[in-house]
Amino acid sequence: MDFALSILEQGLIYGILALGVYITYKILDFPDLTVDGSFPLGSAVTASLLTKGVNPYLSLVIAFLAGVLAGTCTGLIHVKGKVRDLLSGIIMMTALYTVNLMIAGSNNVPLFAQDTIFSNSFLEGITGGNIPGYAVILLILLVAVISKLLLDFYLKTRSGYLLRAVGDNELLVTSLAKDKGNVKILGLAISNGLVALSGSVFCQQQGVFDISSGTGSMVIGLASVIVGTSLYRVVSKIGPFRKKSYIKVTTFVFVGAILYKACTGLAIRYFVPQSMKMISALFLLAVLLLMLVFDNMDKKKVKKNA
Amino acid sequence: MKKRVLAVILGAVMITAGLAGCGGNTGSSGSSQSSKGEKMYSIGISQFAEHGSLDNCREGFIQGLKEEGLVEGENLEIKVSNADSDTGTAAQIADTFVADKVDLICAIATPSAQAAYNSARNTDIPVVYTAVTNPEEAQLADDQGMPVGAVTGTSDQLPVEAQLAMIREILPDAKTIGILYTTSEANSAYSITQYEKYAEEYGFTLETAGVTNTSEVSMAAASLLDKVDCLTNLTDNTVVSALPTVLDQANEKNIPVFGSEIEQVKRGCLAAEGLDYVNLGIETGKMAAQILKGEAKAEDMKYELLTDSSLYINQAVADNLGITIPDDMTQRAEETFTEISQE
Amino acid sequence: MLELRHIHKYYNPGTVSEMCLFQDFNLEIQKGEFVSVVGSNGSGKTSMLNLICGSIGLDDGQILVDGKDITKQKEYKRLKRIGRVYQNPAMGTCPEMTILENLSMADCKGGFFGLQRGTDKKRIPYYRELLSQLGLGLEDKLSVKVGTLSGGQRQAMSLLMSAMTPIDFLILDEHTAALDPKTADLIMELTEKIVREKHLTTIMVTHNLRYAVEYGDRLLMMHQGKAVMDITGEEKKNLQVEDILDKFNTISIECGN
Repeated sequence: MDFALSILEQGLIYGILALGVYITYKILDFPDLTVDGSFPLGSAVTASLLTKGVNPYLSLVIAFLAGVLAGTCTGLIHVKGKVRDLLSGIIMMTALYTVNLMIAGSNNVPLFAQDTIFSNSFLEGITGGNIPGYAVILLILLVAVISKLLLDFYLKTRSGYLLRAVGDNELLVTSLAKDKGNVKILGLAISNGLVALSGSVFCQQQGVFDISSGTGSMVIGLASVIVGTSLYRVVSKIGPFRKKSYIKVTTFVFVGAILYKACTGLAIRYFVPQSMKMISALFLLAVLLLMLVFDNMDKKKVKKNA
Repeated sequence: MKKRVLAVILGAVMITAGLAGCGGNTGSSGSSQSSKGEKMYSIGISQFAEHGSLDNCREGFIQGLKEEGLVEGENLEIKVSNADSDTGTAAQIADTFVADKVDLICAIATPSAQAAYNSARNTDIPVVYTAVTNPEEAQLADDQGMPVGAVTGTSDQLPVEAQLAMIREILPDAKTIGILYTTSEANSAYSITQYEKYAEEYGFTLETAGVTNTSEVSMAAASLLDKVDCLTNLTDNTVVSALPTVLDQANEKNIPVFGSEIEQVKRGCLAAEGLDYVNLGIETGKMAAQILKGEAKAEDMKYELLTDSSLYINQAVADNLGITIPDDMTQRAEETFTEISQE
Repeated sequence: MLELRHIHKYYNPGTVSEMCLFQDFNLEIQKGEFVSVVGSNGSGKTSMLNLICGSIGLDDGQILVDGKDITKQKEYKRLKRIGRVYQNPAMGTCPEMTILENLSMADCKGGFFGLQRGTDKKRIPYYRELLSQLGLGLEDKLSVKVGTLSGGQRQAMSLLMSAMTPIDFLILDEHTAALDPKTADLIMELTEKIVREKHLTTIMVTHNLRYAVEYGDRLLMMHQGKAVMDITGEEKKNLQVEDILDKFNTISIECGN
């Protein structure tokens, strides 16, 4: 398999997770640590369903719903239990560890022999028994694009407006005679649904569920969102794509995830193994510093024009 | 002003260029000819975590290859990557090796082995694994122990019965054995079931305590030490990393701790009927050499277990605890340490 | 009709900093009345608004709307029939969303926020018309983020948005205080227009005595949790700033302002 293709696959899978993190971190302004638990939750649910012979495509939906449930719990703990945001996430993340072990039945469930979305009788049927190698990337792309378009669509609905409003100005939501708590819960539910969906695709692509797969997924998601939204800010202000409405920040969240994964890939390929985390850290720092330079320039430009 | 805009764009371009660069084929891929004109092999070693026994495995593996005439730098190229205990990274490492078209992937520990098998499964690159406790359960082998594809290797299944017999010999009156393990480690969960299976046969009851990370080890050890006559370790990465904490607490209560391999005994466990991971690595290296030279096919090779365990004793620890080790044991010990290594 | 009956409100109860704000406070506001409220800092003006809207709870007493007890009703439910504009122009709008998106939301206030399209394209001409009435040129900036607008523009938006749907009460919480005098005048004219057009029962807290005298058909002066002055009818119509200035200065000095 091509190296770039591998980065693309991983980037797109984690991009779905990053979409979820984008909702909580950027839209809701809620640092949600549930992610480290809901990502493997998606995997655990999927592993358990696949070993029982459930249709793998259906497992994507069920994994998403499981994530929705997890997010709802975090939301309820935060809103109804009046527990601070960071803490509610930590509580759920911790609890989910056990839940995941119970759902999967073991800390490591291989799925090599099971039907997955990438290899099943249906696919074999339409490809004549020989599923081509690029099917994997196409399917991942399909799930990623559908998730992105659905989220784009949702953010343009009334409910989506409310979600954006609650992170922007809670008071306005109350003024609109809506319970801001419920809106937050909804946001967390959708976010963790996407994260779990990403976990489901991940474990099917890996051919294995491993309980440790969630560790650090929040960090990857956050880094992807920061890199993605930074790039979006640059691209939407300069160059040929300036102020084009089809340039969406959700697309750039995926770009961020792919870049982050590319960074890990580069580290694996060209540097000593111990340096990987440092290279990821430097990459993130470089992006943030570049943004600082960009924003300074932008401010000066505004002043000059004024 | 324009210059600075340019600088930013340039920066962005550089990042993308770096990316594009990885798409290109820059790695030394596939077999090529060495200077002497003989065939040059390339191997990718994917190690799951930085860890004493896993490092030993890797060194043994390279040594095993050498014994079979495959020497790094002469007719062998080796690329080592470490996943830092992250399954996503393990997958990326495996993908990279496949993209580089190495001749063989060596995967150390279960998650890396699964990732390597998954990446290489639709290619003709064989995977040789080591330090996988239960290849059947990891679905790397069928229930007959035969490979599920071009994937084979060695298992580091603990010699549980030998260990229990050894503990019984040193502590004739002990009733309860305690084990600390990490709930997320597949190997440990399996070893626990093995201990559960055999403990009674040797007259022991088993007490276990599960942790999820290093920081919990201290508390779990404290709670376990209240209930047991001795502790025995698995090859659990997390617990082994926190071994000094466990030993400190156990020594305070004068409770012996048994290890599961040589490194742990060196560092202060009383004794171990354990595997030598270097030997395990050597065995694995020899298997890999056979496959590379075309003498055997990975598909046809049953995974191997180290048949004999070796006894390791730390006399200094025994003296501290006031335990006398039977003479016949000290005689058959593979190695006896007289001091506790502080490394 | 809005009634506040025997309101008791303490801050920090049970601590050394316990402070009694309202002790048996009573107020009746008739339907369609425009009440201006003035008073020194800490006199309970904003607290009164918060009690009416349900932003803070009360310790004893009742709040009734048209005879119906709403004391226990949650803030967001009450706000279905109440429009509120805050002192800070940023509080009435969403800065990261466009003018069009903000107006669309306000247009749906009290309705169901489901998966319908967020902006009803058919309503856009109506929004344009509303905006053009402000005379601020906002009708051509529908896709501009509200965060980039000036304070006055935002406050005009807030006012517009608070009264887009049928409401009974308009609560204005020093809504001109953060604006420059010229913009403040503009916002006040707009307020008057909206209140008269929609026959809204209005409570306006202000520090500007001129506005309090000029606008509204009733004037309340609050001091230490009590209405020390309550002027209505003809008397209010003929009221001059000088008439209340003395009283106002006395209570302000008492408070150390």
